Amino acid sequence: MKLFSARESTQVDNGANKRRSFLKQLGLGVSAAVGSATTLVKADSHGSNDSLSLKLATLEAEKALRSLHQQYEQALDQGQLDAVIALFADDAKVIFNGGEFRGREQGISRLYHQHFAASNSGKRMEVAPGFALASAQQQEQLNVATDLLSAQAVFPYSIQVGKSIESATSLAAMARLHGEGVHMWWEGGVYELHYVKDAKDGTWRIKQLAYNTLARADYRTGRSYAKTITVPAFATRFPEDSRGPDALV
Amino acid sequence: MKTPMHRFKYTKLTSDQIGQKLAAAANGPTSVSAFTKALDGKSLKIVTQDGPTLEYSFGNDKKLTLSEDGKQIAASYGELTLNNIVFFSHLIPGEQKGYNVFIDQKTDLVTVFEVWLSSGIKANAGGPGAPVQEYTLDDREVQRQIYFGYVDKGQGMPANLHSYTNRVAGKGLHWKQDNGIETLEYYASVANTNFVELTRHIDDLSYVSTSDYVLADDRTFIYNRTECEFSGIHTCFVMDLYNVKQVGVRFGFNDKDELEYYMFRGDGTITGQLAYLEPFDEHGKKPMWATGNTPPAKGARYSYRPVRSFPHLTDEEMHAAAEQNTSTFATGEGANTDISGTGNNMPFSDILVGKTFTLRFDNGGPVRDYRISDKFKLEFRDQRDNVWHTADYRAYEGDDNLAWFSHVIPNSKPRASVQVAVDFSNGLATSIESHMGTAYYGNETTYRPVFGVVEMEGLETPLYVRHTLTDELVGHAFSWSYSDQVTSMHLYSSPHSMSWTIFTGNQTMGAQWCSPCIYVKVRPGVYLFCQNEEACNGAQMIELLNTKISHDCGFSFTGGPRGVNLRVVGAIGRHIGKFDTLGYYGPKQREA
Repeated sequence: MKLFSARESTQVDNGANKRRSFLKQLGLGVSAAVGSATTLVKADSHGSNDSLSLKLATLEAEKALRSLHQQYEQALDQGQLDAVIALFADDAKVIFNGGEFRGREQGISRLYHQHFAASNSGKRMEVAPGFALASAQQQEQLNVATDLLSAQAVFPYSIQVGKSIESATSLAAMARLHGEGVHMWWEGGVYELHYVKDAKDGTWRIKQLAYNTLARADYRTGRSYAKTITVPAFATRFPEDSRGPDALV
Repeated sequence: MKTPMHRFKYTKLTSDQIGQKLAAAANGPTSVSAFTKALDGKSLKIVTQDGPTLEYSFGNDKKLTLSEDGKQIAASYGELTLNNIVFFSHLIPGEQKGYNVFIDQKTDLVTVFEVWLSSGIKANAGGPGAPVQEYTLDDREVQRQIYFGYVDKGQGMPANLHSYTNRVAGKGLHWKQDNGIETLEYYASVANTNFVELTRHIDDLSYVSTSDYVLADDRTFIYNRTECEFSGIHTCFVMDLYNVKQVGVRFGFNDKDELEYYMFRGDGTITGQLAYLEPFDEHGKKPMWATGNTPPAKGARYSYRPVRSFPHLTDEEMHAAAEQNTSTFATGEGANTDISGTGNNMPFSDILVGKTFTLRFDNGGPVRDYRISDKFKLEFRDQRDNVWHTADYRAYEGDDNLAWFSHVIPNSKPRASVQVAVDFSNGLATSIESHMGTAYYGNETTYRPVFGVVEMEGLETPLYVRHTLTDELVGHAFSWSYSDQVTSMHLYSSPHSMSWTIFTGNQTMGAQWCSPCIYVKVRPGVYLFCQNEEACNGAQMIELLNTKISHDCGFSFTGGPRGVNLRVVGAIGRHIGKFDTLGYYGPKQREA
């Protein structure tokens, strides 16, 4: 079952029409996911021991996956990037701003250690004024496959994202001294996640993570206003761009 | 010292040379003021948080023994008291390190500075995404690590120790030490000092050093600065701001490579206070260099070291690059389109459109004819070569009927530009004549102001009145927001220099640097300000400051391997305070 295509999930949303368009996509995906869950529930209705065991196992898996996602968000918020990367499977991929980063030790490490670290990206942030996501967009979805070996999820996010100010001025260089020199903004959207259970140690890992951005605003905490901004997607792959993705999507 | 510190070539003293020179300090620091004897005959154990335990026994002859990590050390020391603070300083014989210790005899709280030379600390001069340019800090640069602790009398670690603070930030003081040394010190950042050596140097230029500020109690603060990128010398003192007095120590090597290790008393005057812009609940207890996720390395501090990554171009290399690309106002190949410096700029004006005039500058200065029929293109002729040129220009109306514009001088060698203020109400004109190249770098700019008049049909021109260099801005500070992403605080620190400070994310003032500059008074409240970031990146900023509307607008002129750029820049400002320092400047009676 495929909830999202990578291309669909990384559409940059600059207006209500695109948000509506995304909701349609999300709605289709959620319907399929709910259908899967319904299948589970029907099996449960017979009340067999097997189905009860499956239900319990599913609940435990859901609990573990929510915990995994909390670990991810907390580690990212605190800038513990090694801890973030450790949550991914070896062959995982992350789709972020039009770029696909492949492999935990390669592309994903590059994304977090170089791109996120240099741009102060990923920290939790309050929603920009006037940019609250619709309630349907804030719904969490979590569906564990009946074989309990994979799962898919949708979790909302509200984070700070940034881009280094590419300027040769002393102001930019000095700002970099204290970890700034970054143009920062707010992004809201949903994480679209695929999980797999590691066959060796039985732990859940992130197989694929797509940042599906629904809104972006020029906003910083404490400011009284926010305005929509457009952010160019990745246009150059690694290694031409030393922080770039392995593929453009 | 006649050579400005940023141009002075300090000797790269080796560790061996430093070791030999430190032998001269075997008897401890000197002092003009008599040493005090508060510690004579006493023994005390200092326990520090995350640092060493130091067990001292003090003799009656300025000798001490120190037990540190089981090692017994005998050394000479000096001691001065200030109110309830006893401060003592000593080196460790045979090693290139020592301690400066501040003990509050009332509370038994202690701040310890471990200082050392020949650190071997490695740093990176490369920018983000750029290749790592690793270098080792100069051996002569004094390093410091600050420990907070207490005198152990069996009471255990107190709940509240001395702490880092932002309570000194924004203050300015004039200090006069007991040895006659006078300084102006602007504590405009939580991590730096902008200071002026009024007696050691002849040019009244302000410089920036990395600093720490420690709160002992509400009237008592402990401070240090290290002149990184210059001599590397270290100044450390405690100050009582009720009575505005200090006691401290200076340790390191001066411009003559002589060891300075002396203690001092000083009297001060508070010269002013800038507004705090950080949140009211931000107390600066965590220093900027310790805000990351990983514990900072010993000696960590923020020090802007711009010349380390500033490439040197010869005049010919610079001109070859200018011939390849001279970009005006973010147009043309290779143009820098970064808008972080222009988001809050003033609008361009058509004030010059339809005008024909001559600018005649004094003392044989240039005479240029202008005829302008377009908002962005002009024609001009320098009467020395009598050839009409066409050039892109941008103009602002910086004040009522006051044009402020700039253009490149086409085909000039070295590549040149002018920034011109023309007062159509008073018939006055000032031009900042700018070109690439200084005696030090082909890719630094040189500027000079020329004053004169504008001749135009129907406009009377004065014979004697002129725009003039001014010191009216000295002591004032403005934050300038060039865009919502870039804000810099300018402190007009002396008649010939200024500093700029970058804000952290919560608007605490952090990284800071400085440059020479000039100020021109155009009208009441309206000034031209021109600075070149010398021995930094060579960039020139030439602004018209209209303090009536707290806005500036102007130009930047820069050159490098990718050519020459003349760009626009402008910001909205906030006046955030003024220091009363003007009276300390100017020629002085000096000993022959």
